[in-house]
Amino acid sequence: MEADNGIRVEGLIKEFPGQRVLDGLNLTVGNGEFVCLLGPSGCGKSTLLNILSGLDSDYRGSVHFGGRPMVPGGKPPATIGYLFQEPRLLPWLSAERNVDFALENSRVPRSRWGDIKDRYFALTGLQPFRDYYPHELSGGMAQRLSLVRALAIEPDVLFMDEPFSGLDELTARRLRVDLLDIWRETGKTILFITHNSYEATFLGDRVVVLSQGGIHNQISVDVPRPRDYDDAALFQVGKTVSATFIEAAEAAERARARGTRSSH
Amino acid sequence: MLLKLGSMLAVVAAWFGLSLLLPATVLPGPWQTLNVLLENIADGQVHQHLLATLGRVLGGLALAMAVGVPVGIIMGLNRFAEKTLDVWVMVALTVPSLCYAILAFIWIGLNETAAIVAIGLTSAPSITINLWEGVKNIDTRLFKMARVFNASRWVIVRRVLFPQVLPYIMASLRFGLGIVWKITVLVELLGRPDGVGFQLFYWYQLADMAQVLAWTLLFTLVMLFIELVILQRLERRLFAWRPEVRL
Repeated sequence: MEADNGIRVEGLIKEFPGQRVLDGLNLTVGNGEFVCLLGPSGCGKSTLLNILSGLDSDYRGSVHFGGRPMVPGGKPPATIGYLFQEPRLLPWLSAERNVDFALENSRVPRSRWGDIKDRYFALTGLQPFRDYYPHELSGGMAQRLSLVRALAIEPDVLFMDEPFSGLDELTARRLRVDLLDIWRETGKTILFITHNSYEATFLGDRVVVLSQGGIHNQISVDVPRPRDYDDAALFQVGKTVSATFIEAAEAAERARARGTRSSH
Repeated sequence: MLLKLGSMLAVVAAWFGLSLLLPATVLPGPWQTLNVLLENIADGQVHQHLLATLGRVLGGLALAMAVGVPVGIIMGLNRFAEKTLDVWVMVALTVPSLCYAILAFIWIGLNETAAIVAIGLTSAPSITINLWEGVKNIDTRLFKMARVFNASRWVIVRRVLFPQVLPYIMASLRFGLGIVWKITVLVELLGRPDGVGFQLFYWYQLADMAQVLAWTLLFTLVMLFIELVILQRLERRLFAWRPEVRL
C-alpha cells in the first residue's frame, strides 16, 4: 500500500497577545497534492507553516500527517522538507556539504546519500556546481540548491514559503517549471505559500485563499498538465484567483479597521 | 604592500631627520637604536626577557579569551543576559588597568599568577564587547533552517552558531593581542623582575633613551610578526569560504 502523506488540519487556533492569527482553520491537503496558500500579509500563512513544521507548539486544534496525529511539543509525524524565501544555506559549506548537513540530521541511511545526491543534483541541473560555495552561486542556483537539500532528506511533504519571491521573474519562471517537473517525478505532497495569484494558479491543483485566520475561498485549477504559462484557460483561472485574493485582502482590511475603531 | 613599505620608510626617514635636530639623549637615531638592539641580542639577555613577556602575553590573552568570549556570546544572543551584564562590562572596562594590576599584586602576591590574572581581567571586557557586537550580526534565520531540518541543539551550536562566531573570535584575538601586550608591559613594570616592561622601566630610570627605544622596537617587531605572519595566515586559511574582499 502507498503511504498516505496527506495533511489534515482541524480547528487550528493560534493567538498572539491581543490578536487571533489563526481562527479555527480547517485545511486538508491530499496525498501528492500541490496546494497553494494565498493570502494578504498577516493572514497567518507563516504561522501555519511554523506550527505544521513543529517550530511552534503553542496552538489549539489538531494536525494529522497521513492519519498520524501531531503531538504539540513533539516532532511532526512526517519528514518535512522546507524551502524558505531565501536559500538559507550555510555559507561556509560547499553546495554538496550543505546537502550533507540536512542528510546528517535525517533518517536517510548513509549508504544511500550518494545516489540521492546524484539524482537531485542532476534533476536541478546543479551537477557541475557541487563544490561551489553559496556565494559563488546565483540567486536562482542557490534556491535550486535549497530545493536539492529539501528533497534529499526524502520528505513526506514539502513546505515552500514564498521560495521564488526574491528572484527575478525570468529565473522564477524557470524554477516553477522545474519544480513542476520534479513534483511529477517524485509525487510529493506540497504546500506552497505565495502572494502571487498567477504563480499559485500555474503551480497548484488547488489554490486556498486565506484571510483573517481562516479560509476565505478555494479554487480548483482544472487546467491539464503540463501547463503552459501563456495558456488562456490558465489565465482565466488566474484572474478569478486574483479577484478572490483582492476580495480577501479588502475584507481583512475592513475587519482591521473595525477592530481599531472598536478598541478606541 | 608597496604602500605599506613606503610609509614605513617615510617614518624611519622622519625619525632620522628628527634625531639630527635633537640631542641623542632625547632622541637617538634609528641606526644607533638598531645597534643597541643588536648588542643586546648578542649579549644573550634579550631572549630571556622576551620569552618572559611573551609567556605573560599568551597566558593573559588565554585568560581574557576564556572569560571574554563566552560572556560576549551569551550577551549577543540573550537579551536578558545583555540587559543584566552590560553595565558591569562598562564598569569593568572603565576601571584603569593600573587598578587591576595593583589589586592583583596585593591580593594574590608578587608572582606570575597575579600578573596573568591582572592582564587577563583587564583585557577581558574589551574582548567581550567585541564579541557581543559581532554576535548581534549573525544570521539567526539559519537557526530556524537547522531546526526545520531536525538538527539537535548541540548540532546547531557546533555547526551553525560556532562557524558564524569564529570570525569574531579571530578578530577579537587580534584585537585582544594589541591590548594585552600593552598591559603586560605595564604589569611587568609594576611587579615583575624580568620582561620587556621591566627592561623599559630600568632604562627609563637610567635615562638611557637608546635602550628604551631598542626594547620598544624589539617588541613592536615581534608583535607585528605575530600579527601579520601568524594570525593573518591562520585567518585566511580558516575563512577560505568567504568571498574575497580586496582592499
